[in-house]
Amino acid sequence: MIGEMDPRRIRNFCIIAHIDHGKSTLADRMLEITGTVTPREMQEQLLDSLDIERERGITIKAQAVRMPFIYSDGNDYELNLIDTPGHVDFTYEVSRSLAACEGAILIVDATQGIQAQTLANVYLAMEHDLEIIPIVNKIDLPSADVPRVIAEMTAAFGFEADEVLAVSAKDGSGVIDLLNAVVDRVPAPKDNHDLPLRALIFDSKYDTYKGVLAYVRVIDGSVTSNDRIRMMATDTQAEVLEVGAFKPTMMKVPGLDAGEVGYIATGLKSVGECRVGDTITLARNGATDSLPGYGEQKPMVFAGLYPTEGVDFHELREALERLQMNDASLVYQPENSAALGPGFRCGFLGLLHMEIVQERLEREYDMDLVVTAPSVVYRVVMADASVIEVSRPTDLPNPSLLDQIEEPWLDVSVLTPSRFVGPMMELINARRGVFKRTEYLDSSGARAAGTESMPSSDPRVVIEAQLPMAEVLVDFYDQIKTRSKGYASLDYTFTGFYPAALVRLDILVAGQLVDALSLITHKDRAYYQGKALVAALRKLIPRQMFEVPIQAAVGSNIIARETVHAMRKNVLAKCYGGDISRKRKLLEKQAEGKKRMKRIGRVEVPQEAFLAILKMER
Amino acid sequence: MTLGLYVHVPFCETKCPYCDFNTYAAIESLMPGYVDAVANEITQWGAWLKHPALTSLFFGGGTPSYLPTRDIAKLMRAIYAAYDLPSDTEVTLEANPGDCSRERLQAIRRTGVNRLSIGVQSFDDNELRLLGRRHSVDQAIAAVRSARVAGFDNLSIDLMFGLPYQFAASWAHSLEEAVALEVEHISAYALTLEGGTPMEADVAGGHLPEIDPDIAAEMYNMTCETLAAAGYEQYEISNWSKPGLQSIHNLTYWRNESWLGVGPGAHGTIAHGPGAFSALPEQGVRFVDIKPPRAYIERAMAWRSGGALTADTLAGAGAIDTIELTTQAIAMGETMMMGLRLNVGVSDASFRQRFGVGIADAFPNAVNDCLKDGLLEWVGERLRLTDDLRPLGNEAFGRFIAEAMG
Repeated sequence: MIGEMDPRRIRNFCIIAHIDHGKSTLADRMLEITGTVTPREMQEQLLDSLDIERERGITIKAQAVRMPFIYSDGNDYELNLIDTPGHVDFTYEVSRSLAACEGAILIVDATQGIQAQTLANVYLAMEHDLEIIPIVNKIDLPSADVPRVIAEMTAAFGFEADEVLAVSAKDGSGVIDLLNAVVDRVPAPKDNHDLPLRALIFDSKYDTYKGVLAYVRVIDGSVTSNDRIRMMATDTQAEVLEVGAFKPTMMKVPGLDAGEVGYIATGLKSVGECRVGDTITLARNGATDSLPGYGEQKPMVFAGLYPTEGVDFHELREALERLQMNDASLVYQPENSAALGPGFRCGFLGLLHMEIVQERLEREYDMDLVVTAPSVVYRVVMADASVIEVSRPTDLPNPSLLDQIEEPWLDVSVLTPSRFVGPMMELINARRGVFKRTEYLDSSGARAAGTESMPSSDPRVVIEAQLPMAEVLVDFYDQIKTRSKGYASLDYTFTGFYPAALVRLDILVAGQLVDALSLITHKDRAYYQGKALVAALRKLIPRQMFEVPIQAAVGSNIIARETVHAMRKNVLAKCYGGDISRKRKLLEKQAEGKKRMKRIGRVEVPQEAFLAILKMER
Repeated sequence: MTLGLYVHVPFCETKCPYCDFNTYAAIESLMPGYVDAVANEITQWGAWLKHPALTSLFFGGGTPSYLPTRDIAKLMRAIYAAYDLPSDTEVTLEANPGDCSRERLQAIRRTGVNRLSIGVQSFDDNELRLLGRRHSVDQAIAAVRSARVAGFDNLSIDLMFGLPYQFAASWAHSLEEAVALEVEHISAYALTLEGGTPMEADVAGGHLPEIDPDIAAEMYNMTCETLAAAGYEQYEISNWSKPGLQSIHNLTYWRNESWLGVGPGAHGTIAHGPGAFSALPEQGVRFVDIKPPRAYIERAMAWRSGGALTADTLAGAGAIDTIELTTQAIAMGETMMMGLRLNVGVSDASFRQRFGVGIADAFPNAVNDCLKDGLLEWVGERLRLTDDLRPLGNEAFGRFIAEAMG
């Protein structure tokens, strides 16, 4: 035994919740109550270490923390909380975090009830055979309806009503009972320390001093400093520089034993060599089989990132390299746009991931970027039966050369109060969706328990449908929220590629094709999209000294046109002695603004125009 | 060598809703102190620069005609004592038509003022009300007649177009009436909504209609055509005159030359270039007097000039609140920004003489691009805006300023 604790006294668990149901707050309270951090050290959302995570109230990277806890019988226990990302873009990371645990706390908001992600998370936890401890959170709020939400949970998942704990993560009530329940109900890890080392990487992170840190759950065997280890999927070897645990800051420990959670400092240079889901074993006398569940993540969303004037292409490359050291799911390759010059085609797990990367480049690297409209990956079956993947509309081969185009589809579930079923159906329909089924979630008993004042006392419905991913990519989530006044929620998973009648829609500005604005769309929708896109562009492109026609074309057919009329007057009427400095400074400011624009021929186009597709009216 | 003098009069009987100048209503009690303070500032500047010659004098505001005649006389006396003011020097005073009785104008004429700039603005009473003006169309016409009787043979009127609710027909009417008055000089300005003014807030809040830039452009073209047909020569973006009767004082600004500014918030410039005031080692300097009238009076009154004129002594002199040293690049950019406003444009020879480099060498990109786009043209050795694209002047100015920034 090298570990600090008898495995029978260890509990590994995670918290699963829909966004905003209070996961980070509950984690904060547990840290406080177990004395892992002192109130003085406490800051909100302690486990969310990125600024963006704190600001948006979401978790992007997985984290772990070891908490000492004295159980009601007086014995010491070690509770390892593995915090999981809370967004569908990161479903794979969630599944790896779950695989590192034996139990999960399921949070449902007492004012909102079950949401789409709650369902998805529960099923995911069940797939991993986790012991689920259901809790109702936010019971301190006046609008909380605990009996109703408990009824909903028992109806939906078959929990016993007395299994569900009532908690307020905010004021701490019920949290000690919950910690006792973790010890009580979550099984202890199996004591496999005699087997060859197998440690599951549930996250990894680059550290300037120690190289890549693998966040691991040791499943079998044990690991200590100076061991030589091997990452089984990438077949990379490394020397263990240090092993440690999160308390909650990183603390060196002599070793990690089967059942324990901690980190291994590898000295490696890139997280790409130490991928989430991979298995670490010993280089010599290692395990023969890796742990199940490893999958290389494929980016689903692509967009072009281009430097504006003032941002150097090489600086952008360097920034992307630095981000990738910590984000194995970010991929990029240089590309050249006729309109925007040299830049990078970047692949992301989803839209949120894309936004986060863009925001980090802008904030942490102070870069001003043009981001083109996101695109999904298409599979193109060529006439000779070969298959190519296309993530950039301008790469779509000439129609005469191809047999068919396939686009990615998603299984989507929308959970909505029944009164919004109509608008949800309309939206799904408008986005080429195919219905699978609808199901009422609440039992009649649950409804009876509801109160009049609660807006969601109306029974809730799960709508399951399939949609092309491209249709979900652009503002689908916003529409779900808008059309349901914020009540409906969304979850989705990738299902596969299916053929569709797709065409490339091109945009010409002043007669010049702007490759960065091209998009792939369904044949039947090209006309409407073309019209909407040129209309949006007309508003986004400022008047120039000359008339600027904006056209949408499919092949050589112009299907829509708008005109930005020439500016007729732009001159300061009065400019006397007292105005000179002020007017000069105004012109200097305008010159700075123009620098950030991109020139398409003679036309100055602001950055927002390249995201016009996100702004067009549908 | 050019040296103008601008006297800022911050008083108005009422403040107009579009005005963002440093002017105030209801501070008439400060007038006596103000006059003494300005007179002292005039005197101290004259002594410091060793009794220089003035090439023009301008009383602007505010409403200079709102000052009692004896106060105007007091300021003129201070100016005559401290500067060389040849008898044919242009001396302009801005006047509100409401202040322009024949007797009053006769008295003002006798102080040495030989040119009036009358704030007519419009020949439509509804538009005058919208602009918050305190005079009527009849008063404006009477003011011009009285000025003639009072002996003014050099008159300018101000007009405004592109107003909320204004139609082309009413602007045509204003132009017609203006032409009929046979004044020597007309300034016609497109209304500019300045930030922080009540009118801007009204437009932003939807209480007044937004001004359609295309209609304003149409009115501008009408102005050019109508005034040209009536024998006026356009010499600047917003200024027209009978041949030879341009505003000498305002040309100082557009040629980016030197002038002194006195009064609260007045700007002055000692321009870049050899031979100006060689005691100033810098490339040129702009300076602004403190804005609030009370503070101005206190500081201007206490000023005693003397010693060398340097950037440091200037920064602490009299009522000066801020100074800005001008680099060669800025001076060149501003010379283009201002000079291209003139129909004759900028002389390459004068530019070269002043800065030691030709325009096309100092601004190769701006010159090339503007020539290519038809914004500018060479007429002999002068570079100027083309007649067709004069209304887009900012496009050209902006390119010179951008290039000056490097």
